[in-house]
Amino acid sequence: MNERVEPVYLEEKLEEIRADGHMDFRSKSLPTWCPGCGYFSMAEGLTFALKQLGLDHKDVVVVSGIGCASRFPFFVSTYGFHTLHGRVLPVATGVKIGNDDLTVVAVGGDGDAFAIGGGHIPHAARRNVNMTYLVFDNGIYGLTKGQTSPTSALGFKTSSSPYENGDVPLNPLMMLLSYGASWVGQAYAGHKQHLADMITEAMSHQGFSFLRVLSPCVTFDKTDNTYGNLNMLVRELPEDHDNSNLMAAMGQAMQTDHPAIGVYYQEKRATLHQAMQATANRAGGSE
Amino acid sequence: MSDPIHHVIIGSGSAGFGAATTLRQTDADCRITMITMDGLPFYHRYDLPQVFRGQHDWRELLDEPPSYYDEMGIQLRRRSRVVDVDGSKQLVTLAHQENVAYDNLLVCAGGRGYLPENLTEYAGLMHGLGSFEAAMRLYRDLPKGGTAIIIGGDMIGIDLALTLLDTGYNVTLIANAQTFWPHEVSDDERAQLFKALTAKGVTVFQDHRPVGVSRDDKNKSACCVMLEDGTEVAGDAVLSFCGLTSSVEFMLKAEVDIERGLLVTPELQTSNKTIWAAGDVCQIWHDQEKAYKFYHGWKHVRIMGELAARNMSGAHEIFYTDVEDRIGVDANGQINSTFWTH
Amino acid sequence: MNKAGTDIQIAICGSAGDGTIASGDIMKRAAALMGYNVIAFDVYPPEIRGFGKCISRIRISSQQAYSLKEQSDILISLNDSHTIPHVGEVRDFGAVIYDDHLVSTVAEGGHISAHINAAQVPYGFSIRQISEQATNSARSRNIVILGYVAGLYDLPNEHFRKIIEAKFAKKPQAVIDDNIKAFDAGVLVGQAVFKLDDVVVGKAGDEATGSKAVMMTGNGAVVRGFMEAEIQSYFGYPITPATSIMERLAVELPPAGGNFLQTEDEISAIAAAIGAGYTGSRAATATSGPGLALMAEMLGLGVMAEVPVVVVVSQRGGPSTGLPTKTEQSDLNLAVFGGSGDAQRIVLAPTNVEGCYRCAGMAFDIAEKYQTPVILLIDLYLSNRYETVVPSVEASFAPKPREPLKLEDHQPYKRFKFTESHISPRALPGEAGFMHTITGLEHNESGRPNDAIHMDMTIKRHEKLNTAVNYPGLNVHKRFGDEGPVDVGILGWGSTFGEILETMYEAQAEGIRCAAMKVVMLSPLPVEALKEFFADCREILVPELNYEGQFAGLVSAALGKPVTRLNRATGSPVVVKEILEEVRRLSVQSRAPLSAAE
Repeated sequence: MNERVEPVYLEEKLEEIRADGHMDFRSKSLPTWCPGCGYFSMAEGLTFALKQLGLDHKDVVVVSGIGCASRFPFFVSTYGFHTLHGRVLPVATGVKIGNDDLTVVAVGGDGDAFAIGGGHIPHAARRNVNMTYLVFDNGIYGLTKGQTSPTSALGFKTSSSPYENGDVPLNPLMMLLSYGASWVGQAYAGHKQHLADMITEAMSHQGFSFLRVLSPCVTFDKTDNTYGNLNMLVRELPEDHDNSNLMAAMGQAMQTDHPAIGVYYQEKRATLHQAMQATANRAGGSE
Repeated sequence: MSDPIHHVIIGSGSAGFGAATTLRQTDADCRITMITMDGLPFYHRYDLPQVFRGQHDWRELLDEPPSYYDEMGIQLRRRSRVVDVDGSKQLVTLAHQENVAYDNLLVCAGGRGYLPENLTEYAGLMHGLGSFEAAMRLYRDLPKGGTAIIIGGDMIGIDLALTLLDTGYNVTLIANAQTFWPHEVSDDERAQLFKALTAKGVTVFQDHRPVGVSRDDKNKSACCVMLEDGTEVAGDAVLSFCGLTSSVEFMLKAEVDIERGLLVTPELQTSNKTIWAAGDVCQIWHDQEKAYKFYHGWKHVRIMGELAARNMSGAHEIFYTDVEDRIGVDANGQINSTFWTH
Repeated sequence: MNKAGTDIQIAICGSAGDGTIASGDIMKRAAALMGYNVIAFDVYPPEIRGFGKCISRIRISSQQAYSLKEQSDILISLNDSHTIPHVGEVRDFGAVIYDDHLVSTVAEGGHISAHINAAQVPYGFSIRQISEQATNSARSRNIVILGYVAGLYDLPNEHFRKIIEAKFAKKPQAVIDDNIKAFDAGVLVGQAVFKLDDVVVGKAGDEATGSKAVMMTGNGAVVRGFMEAEIQSYFGYPITPATSIMERLAVELPPAGGNFLQTEDEISAIAAAIGAGYTGSRAATATSGPGLALMAEMLGLGVMAEVPVVVVVSQRGGPSTGLPTKTEQSDLNLAVFGGSGDAQRIVLAPTNVEGCYRCAGMAFDIAEKYQTPVILLIDLYLSNRYETVVPSVEASFAPKPREPLKLEDHQPYKRFKFTESHISPRALPGEAGFMHTITGLEHNESGRPNDAIHMDMTIKRHEKLNTAVNYPGLNVHKRFGDEGPVDVGILGWGSTFGEILETMYEAQAEGIRCAAMKVVMLSPLPVEALKEFFADCREILVPELNYEGQFAGLVSAALGKPVTRLNRATGSPVVVKEILEEVRRLSVQSRAPLSAAE
């Protein structure tokens, strides 16, 4: 028996979307990601977070590197800086230092962040630059059409590893935890609302917040990080997980077969700006 | 014997310079080092009175420009004092603690001004004319038209006195045994010479032994020589010209025979076969008189240097001079001395 | 240059640990206080520890000088084995001062007096003994020799004493007293010495100017210019010879309310500077050739995204790690062209320390006006060279207050709008209504990625720089010497211009019609001014410190005319004598009679 489906009128739908406000931060440009890409969820999550936090467009700067993530700034109607491959963090640091009143969100993929950009992460993290680093990890280089990345699984076949990837993937969460990041979390593009909440939490943290977003590359990875596989593997952090305990966080981070989503670790620590103010005081100056 | 052979010459006076140039002429390849305490390259000491005629740039005094030494391959070590010569090791030690090895050594270090023993404590208050520097210091200390008191008056001093008189200064001479050194003058000759000097305007004190010298601390031009009889002779500068005494103190370990000077054969070789001497520092064996003799005078000194150099290069020439020491006053009242011939 | 007046150069050579550099420092500051113009340059050993050779050279003159002289008038040895190779540097009838009492015996030639030639004047005295007598230690030898020089050349003592007291002000009084004792002991000996050299230290210019003159190195001048221009953010990474810029700003920026960060590498330094520049903060970094090579990609981003940033580059010997402690001018091509694509930026190359001060003071204004990176290209010689600079009171580099854009005039706001001047209106993050994204991709007026517009945008980015050659208050180029047609024109840039100017004066004195031109803006090049210069000169000579003749190539290509090159890559500054020989050769050539065929 056919159930009668209520007709959806485009005008009303658009009105509804506009009314709920979460399109406020969308720019006029249409995203260029492949349909089904996890970046859509991330974009929605970011706009949700910006709205939740009551941030004004003019006070937000989204900084991106090179990769599928690079187009991010174009799809939000804030200030943005699309920079060079691997250099998101130092540019974002410069933006934050140049004007501390700005909210800085850095966006990148696993290649941008952990290959060419790997050397910049320790310093942004240990300095506790007050910014949010969203790393979209799909274990592959998508924009250049499918090569292995530092987080590709052992045995993964790609155009640059036709005889299977022989490199052990690195563990981004372990890295960030040992680099002294003061907020480390993980989310999954398949759980959209949780992702949006995580982004919101990351952005409200005072200090360097790192959120790794597990996601499929629907176009170039049909075997490893698919929605199907990830849906099965991804779990939540145990309820009794103490996210003020670094060792516990690392213990969870090591369980890569069953990646957990949630806030792994957070601590309150002086930000770079506060440290620089303290330096100025020691130097005998006045603000 | 090193390759090339190294000739070291102590002294950059007429003898030393003559020797250096002669050595280079006879041997194009040898190494030649001249060592001197003076700060300047070779100049004729007899030109120093020119300072009182306005010659204050030492570069004008030089016979040869400094580049000559480079061209001739003569290494000139100035402001270097020899403190020791080791005759068996063939090593010259310099005061700043540098050892220079030689194959042949020529000592023509000349002599220091002699001072009678009772005046040695006043040495610092008196001037000499041993170098350009000394001449300039005297020039600066002597005011225009001032009075120079000369104690002694050897031929170097008399030469200076004549120039001083000619350039408007006054000269007082306090004669003693060293007056007219190195000439040995008879009483008659002495009297004549004093007469000539007095005629020229020199105030002469004969037979008055000087016993002391004083100088005002604040005014360096207020000097005074005290005589034995209590007389005080006032002037603007006190100069001592009491002849030369050979500079041989650094030769004591050189295994050479020394009397008042270094004793050398007529070929100017010392008792050490690799050491030679020339000039005021040496006494040459005179076969007929059976004695070692000094040969002072500007001309002798240069000839000796050149001869020693030729012998160091293998010649066997004998030093010979037919110039007899002679001093006298000519018909015009001018004093002539063979010492001054050059 | 007027030959009258004082112009003497003193070189002090010793081992690290002898206090060679310290005594050179006192000497130059005392001379500046006496009212002389001073140019000084110190040579350090590359090792951190050990007994490597240090040479401090100080030229003091009653008139402005432009470089160090090839020959020194006075050489002082604090360590014979180090100084012996440099005895030849002393001119005829100049002085060589040394210790005439060695601690232990040496073989022939082990003492410096063995190497002084007949035309040089030796002055030996017991430096060590006098130091020990005055202070119970040999460590004050470097002060004793200063006293000796003051005594020998009859220099006023009170200036030395003042500098010594200031230099050791933070030490216990006993140390100051000892140094004064050592100085005085040296003076007594020097006064008693009979002077045989012909070095004449005459009156200084003006003692009043002396107390106003500030002794600055090129790096110090850059920092001073930056601070006066109210630099807000500095990001740096240590690299010889630019490190002292970072170190000075590390001290001066925080108390002034500025931001200082030592980054993890040169790439993050320029990246952060560009990030800060994007927000409107006056941001800069400083590096050398190897660092600039790393920064090339980021500079392209700055050019493409039209972000102002100031980059100081102090060149050293290359390529690669090269000669970290030696000077060179071989990064011109990298500064002007480095980075992928057509990425023209502004490059300024001052020729002396005062120029470093002025260019640094104006760099931010220029970068902000043209919305692009400005490279301040200097070299090790300029970075470390001391010169007396009398800061001009009129120069004010303080930024004018920003006039924010009015939203109603920009509906919609286009960050890269085509305008007549090709310079677009610039909004800063934090300003309501002007949100936009800048990118390294080719983009349209709104900043959105767009390929089709590439030609127009490329024209914009290049043409907007045209007016930079007329930037008010900046000596973009300057001509010296004979006016009108000349036989030989010497064209140069950077620190070599000092030697070029000295050469020009000597050539003129020899009767050669000669002019010299310095070019301070290397990109864009002041082509019109160069055309005029080329038209006046029969021959053009370009001396520079690189093998490939990078500036000669730049100018020759721009004007389509050949030049004569004088390329040197020795690690040391060019030598006036060598340039002069070329000038003479060219002047004869240029006056050669025309052949019958012509």
